[in-house]
Amino acid sequence: MRKFADIKYLPLRPKGSTFDKRITTMDWVIFAFLFIYGIIIIYPFYNALLISISPNEVYMKTPFLLFPKQFDWSNYKQVFDPESTLWGGLKVTLVLLFVGTAYQLFFTVITGYALSRNKWVGKSFVMNMILVTMFFGGGLIPYMNLISKLGLYDNFLVMIIPGAIDTYNMLLMRNYFASLPHELEESAKIDGANDIQIFVKIYLPMSLPMLATIGLFFAVGNWNSWYNAMLFIKNPDYLPLQYVLRELIVSGSSNMERVTEAATITEGFKMASVFFTIVPMMCFYPFLQKFFVKGLVVGAIKG
Amino acid sequence: MNRKLIIKSNSPLNDLGNRTNKSKYLLLMIIPAIIFYVVFCYLPMYGILIAFKDFYPKKGIVGSAWAGENGLGNFQKIFKDPYFWTVLRNTIIIGVSKLLISFVAAIVMALLINEVRLRLFKKTFQTIVTFPHFLSWVIVAGLVFNIFGISGIINKALTLNGHDSMTIIYDKKFFLGLIFASDVWKEAGWSSIIYLATMAGISPELYEAADIDGATRLQKIWNITLPAIKPTAILLLILSVGGILSAGFDQIINMYNPGVYEVADILDTYIYRYTLGSGQRPGEGAAIGLFKSVVSFILVIMVDRIAKLCGERGII
Repeated sequence: MRKFADIKYLPLRPKGSTFDKRITTMDWVIFAFLFIYGIIIIYPFYNALLISISPNEVYMKTPFLLFPKQFDWSNYKQVFDPESTLWGGLKVTLVLLFVGTAYQLFFTVITGYALSRNKWVGKSFVMNMILVTMFFGGGLIPYMNLISKLGLYDNFLVMIIPGAIDTYNMLLMRNYFASLPHELEESAKIDGANDIQIFVKIYLPMSLPMLATIGLFFAVGNWNSWYNAMLFIKNPDYLPLQYVLRELIVSGSSNMERVTEAATITEGFKMASVFFTIVPMMCFYPFLQKFFVKGLVVGAIKG
Repeated sequence: MNRKLIIKSNSPLNDLGNRTNKSKYLLLMIIPAIIFYVVFCYLPMYGILIAFKDFYPKKGIVGSAWAGENGLGNFQKIFKDPYFWTVLRNTIIIGVSKLLISFVAAIVMALLINEVRLRLFKKTFQTIVTFPHFLSWVIVAGLVFNIFGISGIINKALTLNGHDSMTIIYDKKFFLGLIFASDVWKEAGWSSIIYLATMAGISPELYEAADIDGATRLQKIWNITLPAIKPTAILLLILSVGGILSAGFDQIINMYNPGVYEVADILDTYIYRYTLGSGQRPGEGAAIGLFKSVVSFILVIMVDRIAKLCGERGII
């Protein structure tokens, strides 16, 4: 008779099974592939960093560097110079980041809440009206015509106002509110609370994690925004960081007429500017990653 | 008398009044949204009229004359222009290829990450590959030029070693490849998360049962993992079909240059240059925009119908 203790030696976890802990060749192949892919992701950043901290002559002579030969911080001094256009851009972007995000969050969340509640007059009409805009739009030129009619052309507010509600995130918020227990609303109603009180005192505090997720998406969007500035902003004081960066990098490299003009801007300075915009993101991203992932996953499953 | 009053209060009109009164705070909350969507989504739809007019901003939409004899003058002009067809061809090639490439890349990435058992490696890897998604195309274009541009390392290395200068971003042969590769570089990691979440929900018992039947790793992927992510994959595919004609304006506008317009100019970039460039022909730009919106809309409806015919969950 087999002893009880022997059972653990039975092949419950056969070789190659999901629960087999042994490392096989296949594991090494996958590991190697992903490792190389990871290097491909990291290398452009590392390369940019090297260029930004090397003196221009060194970069011109030895473009492939694995380690920095000489350090030269002049590019960063230039970037952090209070007179530099990047600082100006940063100020505009910070306003967009805080004001814009709060504005978007407010309108997106109240709309999501109203649409998540049980029937009210005209709800399905409003819902359909919103859904249509996800699949059909007027296009760029009618939009530009509208903006100039509204007097938003070359107006700082053009970078904030048209972003009030992001339909996708609004629906995400709506689904989240709809998934919270409805009994809370009913009992609060009996106690005499109105819809705004119920929203502010009961449902809003319960949705803080979701609010954080959507707020972060808006914040990233505002940090990265340049499109409305490109279309409508002419005043150099109103240009956001990404647009200033775009002028520096893209216009110099892709408009052949401007190559000569751009040649005076060194690669080192361009890359220092790139790092100036990436570093805040790099610092926050690892800690905030879980919020972003959550937003994506919730949206996909409920969507 | 009393009876009549009761009947009156139950009339449909009064009932509507009652219901409105009950939900007045919710209506208050939805009013900003109604204003927003009417102003920023529906007024531009009225602006579609520009496509049928010889539009001059000073005259306004109503004041401008109709284009051509029957208002279709702008459409006749753009359809006659051979460059429009070049742009449309580019848009379809770039849009469809990007859709398929990124779709496959995300699934492959998810399958590979899912097979990794070292938790630490898995987490670190995911943090790294999802990061580029949060950068703007301006920055990614900067990093790409840094390697493939005129003063990028490849061109520098070639010229320093006595070879001919070769700038990949100005080269029609390589440019599209660069567009697809940079798109995968930026987005594949992020898009894989959705599939990974679906894979995490697969019951381990299925894999256990397959183990007992002696299934290999590939067989398990083919017969368990892939069928499990199929509904998600189809849903995402349908959702992205509507964007085929958009083909990634942000990416192209930041990466292309006059040297590669012939292969890289897409409808959106063409409209953009039409309106802000030297010619300033907003009527034709709006006509191209309308063409794009209508075709995209038809595509979404069609794919949705096909998916439903094949027994999958649609979106509409």
